[in-house]
Amino acid sequence: MVRATLRLIDRGGLLGALDRAAAKKVTIISAPAGSGKTSLLRSWAAHAGQRHRLAVVQVQRDQRDAQRFWLALLGAVRHAAGTADATEPPAATPEFNQRGMVDRVLTELGGQCGPVVLVIDDLHELNSSEALAQLTRLLTNLPLDAHAILATRRDLPLRLHQLRLAGELNEIRAADLCFTGAETRELLAASGVTLSEAGLARLQQRTEGWAAGLRLAAISLAGHPDPERFVAEFSGSERTVAEYLMAEMLERQPRDVQHLLLRTALLDRVNGELADLLTGSPGSERILLDLEDANAFVVSLDPERTWFRYHHLFGDLLRLELRQTLPEQVPGLHLLAAEWFVRHGQVADAVRHTQAAGDWPAAARLLADHSFSLTLDGQAQTVQALVRAFPPGTERSELAVVRAIGDYVQGRLDEAAAHLTVAEAQAETAPPDRQRRRRVAIAALKLSLARRRGSLGSVLEQVEFLSSPVTGQSDEDIALDSDLRALALLNLGTIEAWSLGLPDAERHLREGAELARKIGRPYLEVGCLAQLGFASKIRPLATTQARCREAITLAESHGWGSEWVIAPALIALAGAVIWNGDLSQGERWLQRAAQALQAGAGPDTQLLVHVATGMLQAGRGRLREALEEFSAAERLGPQLVGPHALASQVTGWRLATQARLGVPGQARAALTALDAERASSGEIGNATAAIALAEGDPAAALRALQGILDGTRPVIGYFTVIETHLLAGRAHRELGDQRAANQATERALALAEPDRPVLPFLMTCSRELLAALPRHQTAHAALLTDVLDIMRGAPSAVGDHPSSPPAEELSGGELRVLRYLPTNLSRSEIATELSVSPNTVSTQIRSIYAKLQVRDRSAAVQRARELRLLSAGRTD
Amino acid sequence: MDPTPARYVIRIKGHLGATVLSTFPALASQLRGAETVLTGLLDRSALYGVLAEVEALGLDLLEVRQLEPQPRAQDSADGR
Repeated sequence: MVRATLRLIDRGGLLGALDRAAAKKVTIISAPAGSGKTSLLRSWAAHAGQRHRLAVVQVQRDQRDAQRFWLALLGAVRHAAGTADATEPPAATPEFNQRGMVDRVLTELGGQCGPVVLVIDDLHELNSSEALAQLTRLLTNLPLDAHAILATRRDLPLRLHQLRLAGELNEIRAADLCFTGAETRELLAASGVTLSEAGLARLQQRTEGWAAGLRLAAISLAGHPDPERFVAEFSGSERTVAEYLMAEMLERQPRDVQHLLLRTALLDRVNGELADLLTGSPGSERILLDLEDANAFVVSLDPERTWFRYHHLFGDLLRLELRQTLPEQVPGLHLLAAEWFVRHGQVADAVRHTQAAGDWPAAARLLADHSFSLTLDGQAQTVQALVRAFPPGTERSELAVVRAIGDYVQGRLDEAAAHLTVAEAQAETAPPDRQRRRRVAIAALKLSLARRRGSLGSVLEQVEFLSSPVTGQSDEDIALDSDLRALALLNLGTIEAWSLGLPDAERHLREGAELARKIGRPYLEVGCLAQLGFASKIRPLATTQARCREAITLAESHGWGSEWVIAPALIALAGAVIWNGDLSQGERWLQRAAQALQAGAGPDTQLLVHVATGMLQAGRGRLREALEEFSAAERLGPQLVGPHALASQVTGWRLATQARLGVPGQARAALTALDAERASSGEIGNATAAIALAEGDPAAALRALQGILDGTRPVIGYFTVIETHLLAGRAHRELGDQRAANQATERALALAEPDRPVLPFLMTCSRELLAALPRHQTAHAALLTDVLDIMRGAPSAVGDHPSSPPAEELSGGELRVLRYLPTNLSRSEIATELSVSPNTVSTQIRSIYAKLQVRDRSAAVQRARELRLLSAGRTD
Repeated sequence: MDPTPARYVIRIKGHLGATVLSTFPALASQLRGAETVLTGLLDRSALYGVLAEVEALGLDLLEVRQLEPQPRAQDSADGR
C-alpha cells in the first residue's frame, strides 16, 4: 500500500467505523463517484496495515477478463502472506477455470496464520457476471481469520443474504461518507484555510458534504486571497459543484501543470516517461509526485510511485475539458500513447488508443498481430471487446483471424473454420509484408482446430511453416512468431502422437517445451510436457512415468495440477502404472484426471480415459465393467477424424473381454464384421485366439497367433506380443503340451522382465499358467512371484507415501537379493542365480533385515512391498 | 419492452457547463431554475449509456421520465 503524505485529514470517526466493520466478515462501501471511498481505504490501510495483513486489488477500468482480476487477487493474497517469492507468480492460461482459481485463493487464505483483509476497490468495474458469482462464493466461504472490504460505486448483485442474516455483513453508504461540519472545518484547517462560521456553513451546504467537492474547494481556497468571496460566489452559482470547482482548481495551477493534466487526461494510467512524451517536455514525474502530495486527485499505483492515475471523476472531467479546448490534438495524443504502449508490450491499451485516434486500419493490424499472444495471456474477452469496437464492415480481412480465434476459444469450431476460410481467401490480396504473418497465424490456428477435432490429415500442409527459419526479423516479429511457433509445435506434436508418428511427436513436443520455457509461456510448456508423457507410450514404462511426473510437478508448481492442460499426463501416468500392475495407484490418477476434465473433454481425451479405465477393470477381473469401457472407447473412435493409434488395441480388448465373459459367439460375429486392414493387426490376432480358447478350440487359437509369433502381423508394441505368448501358453496347456506351455510362459516373462508390464498377465487369465511353471525352470522367478502376488490381490503398493523410509538405503547388491526374497528359493539357490557365494548372500540378507528393521523373510518382503522396493521399474 | 427509441426527459441538479454537456451529444439541454433538463430521443442502450455517464461524473440525478409518444412534433421539452 502506498504511503503518500496526503494532506487528507484522518477522518477518525470513519476510520473507527471501518475498524469495527472490518471485524465482520464482509464490509461493502457503496457510494457514488467522489464520495471518498478510495481515500478512506488508503488512509485506513495506512493505519490498519500494522495490525492486519492486507491484500489490495484495484479493479481496472472496464475489466472484462475475470481471469486478470483473480490473478491480481491471488497475487495480492500471496504478497500479504509473504509467500509471493517462494512460488511461481500466477500465470495466465488461455483456458480459464474460474472455480478452480477461487479454490486456490481460498486455500491460500486458509493457509495463512493471522488475520488477513481482502480489499477490493472499484468492484463495479468488474464487467463479468461469472466473476461476481464466484466472488459471492469466495465471500461466503472465507476462512476464519479472513475478512473482506469491497468498495463500489453502485450496488452489485452479490447475493450475500446468508452473511447478512448471520450478522456478518456491514455496509457503509454515501450518507456515512459525507463530511460532517467538523470534518470540513478540519479539512480546511489542514490546508491552511480560515473561514468564518457562516462561510463554512455555506460551503458545507453547497457541497452537501460531498468529499470530492470539498477537496476541490480546499485546493482552490488554499492560498486564495479572499476565501470568503470565493465561497460566496461558489454558493451563488448554479453550476454543478464538480464543474465549477474543477474549472477553478485548474485555473489556479501553473501552466505546465495544466498542460500536463490536460494532455495526459486520456490515459487510464500514466508514468513520467509517458507524460513527457505526451506533453513534449521533461519533468513530468516531478509534477505528478507533487500533485499527489498536494491533493488526493492524483494517486500512485505502486510503492515506488512510478505509475499514477487520476481520480476517476477528475480524470473524466479533464478528458471532457481536453476535448472541448484542444480537440485537434486528441487523435495525435492517442497515437503517441499507442506507440508508447506498443513499445512497452501493452498491446490492448495500444489498440484502444489507436481506435480512439480513428486509425482503424492500424488498429486492426495491431490487434490481428497480437491476438494469439493476448489470448495466451488470458485476455480473450478483451480481444473480443476490441474487435466489436470496430465499425461494422471494416477491416474484414485483418480481423477474420481475430474472430476465428474468438470462436475457437469459445468452442465454436465450425464458425472458427468459416472465419479462417475468409481469412485465407483474403490473404492473397493482402500487402506482401502482411502476407507472411497472416499465413503463419492461419496455419497456427488450423493446427489448433485440427487438434481439437482430432483430425490428422490436414496437419502435414501446416508443418512447412515450422521449418522456415526465424531470422532477419525484428525482435517483435520474433516474439510474436515464437508464441505462434510454440503453440503450433504443441498442437502438431499432439496430433502426431495420436497418429503413431511418435518419433516426430516426441521431437516436436520437446522442441515446443524448450521454446515455451525460453519465451516464458509456462502454460504451453506444461501442455507440451503433458502430451510428451502421453506420447511416450512406446518408451519403457519407467520413462513414461518419469516424464509424466515431471510434467505434473511443473503443472502443480503453477497451480495447474487439476487443470485441463495436465490431463494427458495424468491419464498417461495412470495407464503406465496400471501396465505395471499398480491398480490402486492407477485408480487414483484416473480420479484426478476425471477432476481435471470436469470442464469437458474432447473425444480423444475421453477415449483415453475409457481405455485406461477399461484396463483397470480388466486387471481387477471386473469384466462387465471393462467391456463397457472398451465399448465406449470404440464408439468414440469414429468421432476422431482419421484412424487413431489405439484403434486395434481397443477393438482387440473389447472382443477378448467379450470372449472371457462367456459370449464368444457375439465376439466372433463382430470379428467377421471387421474390415480386412483392421483384422490383420496383431491385437486382433490375440482377440481371435482368446475367442477360440473360449470356444474350446486351442488349435485354432494357435493358428491365429502364428502370424504374430513369426512377425508377419503388425503390432502396436511388445506388450501385445507378451499377451500372444501367454495365450499360446494357455493353448498348449489345453492341448496337453506342458513343455510348450512353459516355454511360452518363459518367453512372456523374458519380454516383461526389463519394464515389468504386469497387465498382460492379468488380462489373459494366466494364473494357472504361471503357477504351473516350476521355479527352477525360469530365469525370472522374482517377476513371476510378483505377478502371482498381484493376481492374488496382495497389495503391491500401499499408498503413494511409504509409511516410513528405511533407516538406510539398500545397496545395489542388497536390492538384487531383495528381489529374490519373495520366491521360495533358498539362499544357495539365490547365490547361484546371482553368481555370488552363499556367504555373500547371507551377509546381504542380514543387512537387509537390519535396514528394513525386520526379523524374517516374509516380514522383509512385506516391508519391501510397502516401500515399493520391489514393484518399481528396474533401472539397473 | 418497446425497442424503438422514445423521448426521455432527464433532470439533473445544477447547471451543466459546456464541458459536461459535450458528453451528451444526443440530448438537448435547457436550464430551468437550479436544474438542467436534458431531452432527447433514446433507445434503451443509449438511455443506459447516458445514465452511466451521469454516474461517472457524479451528477445529481433528480428524475428520468419517458414521454408519451406524440403524433406531432412539439417544441416544448416537457411533452405535456
